Amino acid sequence: MHKLIEFLRRTYVVALFILLEAIAIGYYAHSSSYTRARLLTTSNHMLGGLQGVFSEIRGYFSLRSENDRLVSRITVLETTLAHYRWQLRGGERDSLLHDLQQRDTLLRDTAGMPYAFAAARIVANSINRTHNFMTLDRGTRDGVTEGMGVLSPDGAMVGYVSAASSRHAVVLSILNTSFRASGKISGSNYFGSIYWDGSDRYHVRMKELSKYAEIQVGDAVVSTGFSQYFPADILIGYVERYELSENQMSYDVEIRLAVDVSGLTDVILVSNSDAEEVRRLETYRRGTL
Amino acid sequence: MQRTGRYVILFVALVLLQTLLLDNLSISIYLCPLVYVAFLLLLPIEVLPVSVLAYALGLGIVMDWTMGTAGINTIATLPLAVIRIPLLRAIIGVTGRDVIREGGIPSPVRLGRTVFVRYVIAMVALHHLTFFVFEALSWSQIWQTLLRLIISGTVSVLFIWPIAQIFTMKPHKK
Repeated sequence: MHKLIEFLRRTYVVALFILLEAIAIGYYAHSSSYTRARLLTTSNHMLGGLQGVFSEIRGYFSLRSENDRLVSRITVLETTLAHYRWQLRGGERDSLLHDLQQRDTLLRDTAGMPYAFAAARIVANSINRTHNFMTLDRGTRDGVTEGMGVLSPDGAMVGYVSAASSRHAVVLSILNTSFRASGKISGSNYFGSIYWDGSDRYHVRMKELSKYAEIQVGDAVVSTGFSQYFPADILIGYVERYELSENQMSYDVEIRLAVDVSGLTDVILVSNSDAEEVRRLETYRRGTL
Repeated sequence: MQRTGRYVILFVALVLLQTLLLDNLSISIYLCPLVYVAFLLLLPIEVLPVSVLAYALGLGIVMDWTMGTAGINTIATLPLAVIRIPLLRAIIGVTGRDVIREGGIPSPVRLGRTVFVRYVIAMVALHHLTFFVFEALSWSQIWQTLLRLIISGTVSVLFIWPIAQIFTMKPHKK
């Protein structure tokens, strides 16, 4: 008995270490991106304010480049607006006739566009881990909900909201190995799966793009609209390299991101009012199978 | 009591430094210094191993919570609590056993510059290796993981060195 007590006295720290390590590994093994986002959401309750102060300081130093970006974005939007104005003046009657023929679409439009946009400021943004997240200064009290798409001020894909508290939202960044979205070569109907392999902050990859797709270096890659997070044709990046996969049935594509995630200070949130309805339908479909 | 207060300040300062500054470094995906580990490195040598284990657990949980890492920090900090003194004994050799017996805060002055640097490098390397391996969980990324270990580990050591100097600095008496 004395020997047993002596043995336990000498080894209980190691035994305790093994037990705690096993619990920690078990917790990590059962965690998901959602768990990590929830953890960040709760810690933001305490640290969000401080992070906001640091973000303001960082934002101050990037005002010049931010202004340049905004001005160029305004130029693009003004051009688009002018184009629509010209169309309206030139072919107002034809356009109205066309709209009447497309009554379903018109009814849909009067009921409200499915996508709504809002701006948010980034208060924390990690790019140096394999599971990267960013924290925004908008939360549920501002109408932010899980599943909202997140775009750069230029309109490029950045990530989606994976958890939200009352004052903050946590975004699963495109630079997160758990991130998935469907993408296609702009102007084509062949699509593939977009993911980040964790090796380079300027590139993501697209796999399973049909070998029949016409692809060239420099082609724009955009969202398909199959996703519940993003509207169709949101710019993801540009094809930098591609090759046939091992089974020779599809292309593996390396895409240079249109956005430098590390340089972002503000983002645009996209809410899809149809997302909940689609989710309900998909749940119902799965239940009936 | 005064020593406890200093360690509380060190703990809070390291957590804030890590969360507010180092976690938001946007320089490279290979640069992810984890300097909060300095808290465990600078605990007095005579602290009971079970207490060090408790501090490592607390530090790991706080960092997992603030960094949203769901257990990786705890997985990486716990082994340091067990390995700390055996590692120090191995580095210091037979000649320096008295230094360990005397206790006190590990510092360049107490251990000697070479021993202290080796101690910091070994502890940081073990911690960062565990962290990055568990975060990647992929053998296909082994070279990237090693690169992250080398770059981030080096920067962590460069951060920890001045932190240790300031923390172990004796106040001037007038």
